Amino acid sequence: MHSKLIYVIFATVLLMAGILIAICLAESVPNGAGLAHAQFNGMRVGGDGAARLEHIGGLAFAFQALLLLLIVCLSALGVAEERRSPQLWAYMGGTLLFSLFVWWQMYSGHQAFLETGVTSYFMGFPVATAWQVYGTWLGAIPLIILYSVGFRKFIFTDEDEMKYEALLEKIAKETEQ
Amino acid sequence: MEAYRQEIIIGAVIIYMVFCVVTGLWAMRLTKNSSDFFIAGRGLGPIVVSLALFSSTLSGFGFVGGPGLVYSIGVSSFWMIVISSTGYALGFFLVAKRIRMIADVRNCISLPDVLAARYNSEAVRFLIAVTIVLGVMGYLATQILAMAVVMQAILSGTAMFADIGLVTCVVISSAVLIFYCVTGGIIASVYTDVVQGGIMMVAGVLILLTAMSVFDGGMQEATSIILADDGEAMMPFGAAGIMASLGWFFVFGLGLAGQPHLVTKMMMNRSIADNRTILPMSLFGYVMAALLWVSIGVIMRAAVIDGVIEPLALPDDAASLFLSIFTNPLLAGIVFAGLFAAIMSTSDAFLNIGTAAIIHDIPKAIRGRAIENELFWARVVTVILAIVAASFALYSHFQDATLVAILGAFGWATFAASIFPVLAIGLNWKGATAMGAVAAIVSALLINFIIQLAGIVLPYGILGGLIAFIVSLTLFIGVSLVTKKPELAADMEAVLDI
Repeated sequence: MHSKLIYVIFATVLLMAGILIAICLAESVPNGAGLAHAQFNGMRVGGDGAARLEHIGGLAFAFQALLLLLIVCLSALGVAEERRSPQLWAYMGGTLLFSLFVWWQMYSGHQAFLETGVTSYFMGFPVATAWQVYGTWLGAIPLIILYSVGFRKFIFTDEDEMKYEALLEKIAKETEQ
Repeated sequence: MEAYRQEIIIGAVIIYMVFCVVTGLWAMRLTKNSSDFFIAGRGLGPIVVSLALFSSTLSGFGFVGGPGLVYSIGVSSFWMIVISSTGYALGFFLVAKRIRMIADVRNCISLPDVLAARYNSEAVRFLIAVTIVLGVMGYLATQILAMAVVMQAILSGTAMFADIGLVTCVVISSAVLIFYCVTGGIIASVYTDVVQGGIMMVAGVLILLTAMSVFDGGMQEATSIILADDGEAMMPFGAAGIMASLGWFFVFGLGLAGQPHLVTKMMMNRSIADNRTILPMSLFGYVMAALLWVSIGVIMRAAVIDGVIEPLALPDDAASLFLSIFTNPLLAGIVFAGLFAAIMSTSDAFLNIGTAAIIHDIPKAIRGRAIENELFWARVVTVILAIVAASFALYSHFQDATLVAILGAFGWATFAASIFPVLAIGLNWKGATAMGAVAAIVSALLINFIIQLAGIVLPYGILGGLIAFIVSLTLFIGVSLVTKKPELAADMEAVLDI
């Protein structure tokens, strides 16, 4: 485990921390986290969406993009270093691009709604929300396929299993002695 | 059938509770030692583990609080569930294989056991055990209270039990929970989880179908009603805004691999190779059950805005009112049984890990050895822990809500911030040190506790739990990088190499 992956993860977390600080220091807007519904008790509304994103929209977009990078890096950390092959990195890169595409569609769809006030629908939800509901849920499917289908290639190979069995046997013998 | 609505619902709940008691008696015969009691002797098959894993993830909060959150803040709360696929994936990539290996190699029966072995540190064991006990008290108290409130609502609808009190309902529901947890330990817990998971999946799908029929135009009509009332509520960041939404994405996504009641289940499977099927099966179950969260919340918000029903007194009434207004009695019975199942499956998992922390880990961290006759004391402490949590719940309800609220602060976000770096990264990076682990756990506890106690409100709805998580991740890696690289025991070195 001598790779530089942990440094990439550390740098990503530091950048995210920096963005959070910048958001905390950004000019605040009234009702940035919503306000009570004028008519119905217990219900909240978002109000002016464009105003809420005016000072932090770009920062929030970058924060989420870094989080998606962090998720892919952490998943790769869960694969033993000698099996982090170019093939694995290509797959992980594709997964990241897919997640970023979903995030972009969601964010830009919301921006378009804020500008025009109209939206089309997909499977019951406004398009931007449909990207959130279906896209985000499906965004991790490549990772799940990699884990399940590639289990014996990347996660726990036959060689790993033999090493593990040998370790257990060794411990059992030592315990007997 | 409509005339017997309450009777059908009560019948479904009673059948479910009798099943739990019978399972407890059956599992008692299989529970011969503390390893059986806490981790089912590491002999569970993939279907059992999958269902137990997802049903423990979706607690009463998912069945009651989830729809209430959608009613209250719109799409913002969707972020807590759409991240589940990523959360499960990360949990399996980072934790499932090595936690099972360490449990085998060092004969571990709890999460603090595993982490003490990984870091060769009793301080890490002690801090994680204390975090678990604090979190368990908060979680258990709120779950028991939720169970009693729902039971009171069901029973008070009948002539015979019209005046039933909350205390009686706490006693009845806690008694069933205690009975099967004490007699059958984790074996009873996971096998009831299997049925609980099945009920939750069926309930989720049936509720979605019912919800889609409330408005002639289906889900699209409901979402367009909400959108017309407030565009933001139905857009991806909801009423709570972008930073609250992304905070939940972070804390619920990465944090799943830091929940002790979930990762402990990853130690229980018969074979490491089973993980390849457990991951997709758990996720499938979770998605089916979570349909209830989304569909009830959206329909109830739209129905109130559209004047179809009266405004709710409390957002958390969304699920129970939906069931009483829009569903037939049989479905309502299944879903109420599913609701008890969701609450109990989480409660029994917490009762189990809390007991392990008290009778196994804290004594081991302080005295250097476990107590004698662990199985007997495990049963005794399970009873005491449940009674104390039920007392907290009642005290909170009748006297002062602060106590459970403070303990509740040690919930999902605190577990995520304090345990994820230490466990999920620590099992995959040899450079992680005990000093880094201690810094991460202490900082996560302090930040969550201070923000909760001081009532600090961060701009743009940023969550305190998110700040705690990022600080603990930073400190864990940063402190580990600057402290001396640890000498790992040979067996740990071998496990981290595989």
